[in-house]
Order: sequence, then structure tokens, then C-alpha cells
Amino acid sequence: MTPSAGHALGYDAAPALSAPLRFFVTAPLFGVVAGLMLLVHPELLESRWTPGALALTHLVTVGFMLMVMVGALFQILPVVAGAVLPATRVLATIVHGLLGSGAIALVWGLAAMQPVALTAAVWLLGSGFATFVAAAAYALVRAPVPQATPRDLRLALIALTIAILLGLTLAMILTGELALPLFPLLKLHVGWAWLGGVGTLLAATSWVVVPMFQITPPYPQVLTRFWAMSAVGLLVLWSAAVLGGFPLLESALAVALALVAGVFIVTTLHLQRRSRRSTPDTTFRAFQLGMGSLIGGILCVLAAHHLDHAAWAVLAGVLILHGGFVSIMLGMLYKIVPFLAWLHLTQDKIKAPNMKKLQPDQPVRRQFHTHVGAFVLLIAAALAATNGLTMFGRLAGLIVMVEFGWLAWNILKVLRAYQRARST
Amino acid sequence: MASITDLMTHDHRECDEVFARIEQAVSKGDWDGAATALRAFTEALEAHFGAEENTLFPSFEAATGMTDGPTRMMRMEHAEMRRGLEAMQDALARKDADDLSGEAETLLILMQQHNMKEENILYPMCDGHLSGQAATLAPRLKDQLKGSAV
Repeated sequence: MTPSAGHALGYDAAPALSAPLRFFVTAPLFGVVAGLMLLVHPELLESRWTPGALALTHLVTVGFMLMVMVGALFQILPVVAGAVLPATRVLATIVHGLLGSGAIALVWGLAAMQPVALTAAVWLLGSGFATFVAAAAYALVRAPVPQATPRDLRLALIALTIAILLGLTLAMILTGELALPLFPLLKLHVGWAWLGGVGTLLAATSWVVVPMFQITPPYPQVLTRFWAMSAVGLLVLWSAAVLGGFPLLESALAVALALVAGVFIVTTLHLQRRSRRSTPDTTFRAFQLGMGSLIGGILCVLAAHHLDHAAWAVLAGVLILHGGFVSIMLGMLYKIVPFLAWLHLTQDKIKAPNMKKLQPDQPVRRQFHTHVGAFVLLIAAALAATNGLTMFGRLAGLIVMVEFGWLAWNILKVLRAYQRARST
Repeated sequence: MASITDLMTHDHRECDEVFARIEQAVSKGDWDGAATALRAFTEALEAHFGAEENTLFPSFEAATGMTDGPTRMMRMEHAEMRRGLEAMQDALARKDADDLSGEAETLLILMQQHNMKEENILYPMCDGHLSGQAATLAPRLKDQLKGSAV
């Protein structure tokens, strides 16, 4: 028994509203910049290798996705693991400042291949993420029931850390500070980020979130027990094959990784079909679009391995990042933000309007439809760009700007409703 | 023999099932069915809260000496959920489908984050501290939960 147990379970363990919200409000702004970049430079989708395409990718992955994930972890760790992050308000301010400025430096450094900015990004992102992981590790060790801490959540944090370390290494190769082979490490960075970091975090969250909030049967135990371990174990083997230069083994392991990811996705879609909730809401639809798009993305990754056309890799990026992870995160944000507003009002003994009054369905649905529109245009743009057609890219960029701007607006509207409830 | 964690977690999922019936009835415009389902859900939830507040929590508090700890927080959240149930009953009486769905959504999320804390933290702590009484405690809890079987 530890004295922190009561604290860990209580409302008072929930971090200040500003801790996760600062991440959620600023994350979409990086999406807006990504759209703007595509509007101005639609030719970026011609190849994944151009500096501009790398910058665009990291606006989405670091600027949007990492920010949302870290913000959500501030909230999830106390509830799911009883892990109370120390001095959350100060911690959130520091981590948010470092990750946000690091994302800007990284994108600038990649777009302009500017060594000074890349070096700044390494320090800012490195120290920001290290601060967060150190605080999370400290909190997890002190959790009242350490063995109850979802193991897969810890695995995801470790895998995400590896992905980020690989990213920092790559940045230092680009600046010339490190002399290491770029391409194998780049492969590892992408593999660890997609399946190791984000994929495992998504799975660890889904084990809990899908059955509880969508009222479905539970995931088969064989998945909740062994999936994340197998995924990370296979990633380690695959990494060894990449670094050791065994192309046949590498290809076989890549297929195994795709199958492992596929099993999780197909199971999730199957469970969701058995949801007992009557009307599928935006979060449900966003999850389904995300899972379907991830399958498409994985097929494109496999195709890109064997076929020479540049479009496969770009399509894989669009399907996995925008259609897959961004969709799922949208769906989660639309549950987390109004609930947190409600929880903090209730906690302060203020009569809180219910979640749908804090966040009406209609603007959420419309923003999601815009997201779907942007996704379709991005696919068209990826296919057209390799043929030198830029019109779709421009249009996609514009709609991506609208989509993320609207998301930020919808989040701010919840905060306004929260403020109104406080002042009445 | 089933652990406290297994027993109580299973009952959480049973309550979820009954909750889903309310939403299903409302979406079909079946207000009588919704009222029946809401009554069943209230009974199931009260039986669960009762088993915890009258049996499980006092045993935990006696075994650990912690009366101001996690159980106090869980009781406070039960009170919050009871208020949520009242808000749902009120919306149902007015046949206000939008309001009912908003209150239901709010209660579901409140309930599930409460459940996560119990299933991941409090119940395993109970299993740890109450292992000596498991043989008598589990059947008593089971009886109280079953009182609500719907």
C-alpha cells in the first residue's frame, strides 16, 4: 500500500484542464500549416524523398500526432495506470513548449535543409520528449499497483522513445554531426514510429476503449496478452535484418509485421460491427475509416517494397497518416475534450451542461466530412502528382487547411462553453 | 475461484449491456422500452454500488485502515453517477431524445473512466489485501450483484 493510492484514484489526480488541452488546441495548427504548404507547393507529393515532403510528413507526425498523443497521455496515465505525473501544470508547460518549438525547428530544418534548425530540433524535441518520458516512468514506478499498469502502454512508450531517438539520429546525420548510413536507419525510424510507437499505443488504448466505450465484446485474450509483445519482438528482429543486410529475411519479416498489424485491425473492425450502441457517432465512424485506411496503407507499403513507382510510398503515407492515425485521433479528441470540460466543471461543483451541449454533434459531423473530403483529395493528389498534375494537390491542401482549422475551432468552442458555464 | 477483480469487472460489463438497451430503445422512438431499460439499468447500477459501498469497500477499509483513501473517491464518483441517472430520468420524462442522448453519453464516459480506475487499480488492491477473506467475501458480493439480475 502506498499513501498515493487514494490520490491516484481521485478527481484531484486528474491534471489541470490546461495540461492536455494546450496540446490539443495547438496540434491542429500544425495541420493547418501542412495544408498551406501543400496549397503552395502541390508538387511535394511527387516523391516522399523531397525535403518539402519530409517537412510535410513531420508537420503531421510530430506537430499533430505526437502533440495529441502526449496531451492524451497526460490524461490517460492517471486514469488507466494510477500514475500521477509530478507537477503536471509545470511539466505540461515545459514539455509543450519544447515539443512545439522543436516541431517548428524540425519542419523548418527539413524544408530548408538548414543544419542550424535541425540541430535546434534535436535539442528541443530530445529534451522535451526526454522530460516527458522521465516523468511518466517516475509516475509509473510509483503507481499504487505497479503490476496493474497496462504493460502494452509501457511497451508503446518504449517503442515511441526508440522511434524518436532514431529520428534524432537521422537529423544528426543530415547535419553531418554523425556519419552513419542514412537509409537503413530511416527505414527503422518509420517502422518503429508507425507500428512500434503509434500502433502499439493505439492497440494498448483500444484494448480498453473499444469494449468500454463502444460496448463491444472484449478483444480475444490472445491479442491483449501477446499482440504488442509479438509486434515489438518482430520489430526487433526486422531491425536486425535491416541493419545486418539480410534483404530476404527483411522482406519476410516485413510481411509478418504487416500480418500482425492486420490481425489487430481486422479484429477491431469485427468487434466494432458487434457494438451494442445504437447510432454510430462520429468517433465510431472515424475509427472505422482509420482502421480501413490503415489496411490500405499497409498494402501500399508492401507494394512500395516490390514496385518501383513513387506513388506507392506517397499513398502509403497518405493512407496511414491522414486516413489512418489522424482519423482515429480526431475521433478520440471529440470524446476527450468535451468530457474533460465536463469533468472539470463537475469537479469544481459547477453544474455542467451535458457533453452534447458542450459539443453539439452537427459541427463535429461536418468537420469529419471535411476530413473525409480532404482524404479523398489527398489520394487523388498522390496519384496525380507522379504524373505531374498539381491541381488536386492544391485543392487537397486547401481542404486540409479547412479541416484542421475547423478542428481547432470546434475544440475552442468547447472551451468557450466551459468558460460560459463557469461564469454563470 | 473467481477473483474480486474478475467478479466485479464482469458485473461492469453486464451493466454496460443494460445501458445499451436504453440507447437502442430511444433510437427506435420506443419510450416505454426506454423507461423499462432505464429502470433496469438503475437497478443494476444500484446493486453494484450497494455491493461495493456496503460490503467490498468496508472490508477494504477495515483491512487497510484507509477510510479516506481510494474508496472515498469511488463513493464520490458513485454520487456523481447517481446524479447522471437522475438527469437521464428527467430527460426521459420529458421525452427529450437529444437531451437524453447527451446525458447518456456523459454518464457512459464518466462510468467507464470510473470502471477503469476500479478494474486496474482498486480491485487488484482489494484482491491483494482481502485474499484471506476471499472465500466468504466473493459469494456475498455475488449475491448482492445477483439481486439486480435483469
